[in-house]
Amino acid sequence: MTSTTMTRPVRSADDHSPGATLAGIPFSRLFRVECGKATDTRASRWLLAAVAALTVGLMLAPLLAPSSIEQTYTSYLSFAAIALSILMPVVSILTLTSEWSQRTVLTTFTQEPRRTRVISAKVLVSLLLAGAAAVFGGMVTAAGLAVAAASGREVEANLNAGVVVGYLLFVLLNVFMGVALGALLHNTAAAIVLSFALPIAFGMLGFALKSVAEWIDTSTTFDWVLNGQWSGHTAQILVSVALWIAIPLAAGVLRTVRREIN
Amino acid sequence: MITSSNLTKSYGRVPVVRDVSLHCEPGTITGFLGPNGAGKSTTLRMIVGLARPDHGSSTVSGRPFVELPNPTRVVGTLLDPSAMHAGRTGRATLRIAAQVAGVPSDRVAELLELVGLADAGDKRVGGYSLGMRQRLGIAQTLVGQPQVLILDEPANGLDPEGIAWMRGLLRDFADRGGTVLLSSHLLHEVQATVDHLVVISQGSVVASGPLAELLASASLMLRSPDPEALARALASAGIDFRPGPDQTFTVDVLDGRVTPELIARVASEQHVLLTELRQSDSGGLEQLFFTLTAAKAAHSQEAAA
Repeated sequence: MTSTTMTRPVRSADDHSPGATLAGIPFSRLFRVECGKATDTRASRWLLAAVAALTVGLMLAPLLAPSSIEQTYTSYLSFAAIALSILMPVVSILTLTSEWSQRTVLTTFTQEPRRTRVISAKVLVSLLLAGAAAVFGGMVTAAGLAVAAASGREVEANLNAGVVVGYLLFVLLNVFMGVALGALLHNTAAAIVLSFALPIAFGMLGFALKSVAEWIDTSTTFDWVLNGQWSGHTAQILVSVALWIAIPLAAGVLRTVRREIN
Repeated sequence: MITSSNLTKSYGRVPVVRDVSLHCEPGTITGFLGPNGAGKSTTLRMIVGLARPDHGSSTVSGRPFVELPNPTRVVGTLLDPSAMHAGRTGRATLRIAAQVAGVPSDRVAELLELVGLADAGDKRVGGYSLGMRQRLGIAQTLVGQPQVLILDEPANGLDPEGIAWMRGLLRDFADRGGTVLLSSHLLHEVQATVDHLVVISQGSVVASGPLAELLASASLMLRSPDPEALARALASAGIDFRPGPDQTFTVDVLDGRVTPELIARVASEQHVLLTELRQSDSGGLEQLFFTLTAAKAAHSQEAAA
C-alpha cells in the first residue's frame, strides 16, 4: 500500500456525514482496551505471576505446620485471602497509576476525553481481576485441602456461604484500597509505598489507641469482614471502608477529571 | 479545520499564553513557531482539552475537542513521543490505538510499514530512539484516518532523511484535504514544510499569515563594490541598514515602505554602483523569527523596567 492511500483523510473536510465520526466509543470497547492494558506489560505479568506464587507458597504453611495452624477449611482459605491481600492491591495500583507514571494519559485522554469513562473501565478491570484472583485463591485452597486429604490428615470441613462471602469481600476490599490509592495519587511508587506503610503505621497507632484500631486500622476491620464478625462491628467496618476506599476513590476521580496534563 | 480564539492561560501569576487565536484551513499546513517556552505546547494542550484555558475557546472540525464522540477518528494528536509505555511493543501500542478508534487491526501492520518501523514493530518502545518514537507517534495519529493532525515538535529526533519523509507525508495529507497544525522551534524545518505560519513569543502571537507573505516582508539584500558610498547614500536617504559580509547590506522593507525600486533610485541618484539587489533568501524566516522575538523580548524588558 502506498503512503498516498494510507494518509488520506477518510472523509473530505466538509463532509460531516454521521457514522464513524459521530459514533462514540462504546463502554464495552473501553473496558476491553483497559483489560488489555492491565495485563499486557512485562511488569503486570510478573506481578500476577508473583501473586500466584505467593498464594501457592503461603498455602504450604497450613500443610507444613499442622500442629500450630488450625486444620479447618476456613483456616486454609484464610491463607489464600492473606496472600491475595498482599500483592493484589499492587496490581490495581498499577492499573490506575501506570498511565500517569508512563505519561500515556496524554494519549489515553485524547482518545477518550470523557475521563470518568476511562477510570470507570479501569475500576471495573480491577474488580474483574479481584474476582479472578479470588477464584484462583479458592482453587489453590482446594488443591491444598486435596493434598492434606491425600496425606491422610483430618481437616474439619467447616466451610459455609458466610465464610465464602467474607473471603470474597476481604479480597475485594483490599484490592479496592489499592484502586482508591492509585486513583488518588497518580504515582505508582508513592501509592505502593503508602499501601504498605499506612497499614503498618495505623496498626502501630492501634496499639496505643483502641479507637484507631477499631475504626481506622483496616487490618482489624477487614479481619472482621474475613471472619464474618459483622455483629457489633458494622459501623466500624463501614467507617474504615469510607475512609480508605470511598472517600479517596471519589477524590481521585475528581482529581483525574480536573487535572491538567503536561 | 481548527479554530481557536483568544486562548489565554496563566499558571499562578505567570501568564503562559495570551490571547492566541489560530485558524487552520483544510488543505493547509500551519506552522506554530516559537522559541522554547513560548507557550506552543500549552496552546496545543488547550486545543485538545488536556489543559483548560482561563479564557477563550477552540473547536476542531466544528466542535470543542472534548465533545468529539470518538476524537481519533477526527483528529490525530502527537504531543509527546516520549509519553509511550516503555514496556509495550510498537505493534501493541498501535493495536490499542486501533482498538479505541474502532478500526480493523490489520491497519496496524500497514502503518508500521508506512512509518518505516515494520522490522522494529515487535521491539519494546523502551528500546526505541526518539526518532523511532516520533515515527510510531505519527503512525498512531493516522490510525483513525483523521481529517486533522495536531503535532507538537514532530521533527525532534528525526534525522534529515526522516524530516524529508515526514514533510512528504504531511504535504500529501494536506493535499488530500487534511488540516495540519504542527509546532516547531526548528526554523528551517518549518520553512520547508508549512503554508501558513503563526509565530508566538512569550505567549503572544507576534506574526501570522501565509508563509510567502511573511517571507516577502522581511528584508532586501544589497551588494556594492563601494560599500562606503552605498552606506552614505542609504544614510542620506534615511534608510536603516545593517552591513553584512562581502560588501553586502541588509535593509528591512518596513511593510513595503522600502522597495527595490526605492533602493535603486537612491543608488542611481548618488552614483553608487549596485551589483546585487534582491529579496533576502538565506535565513529569511530566521531573521523574521529573531527580529520578532527579540523585539518582543526587548519590549517586555522595557515594560518591566
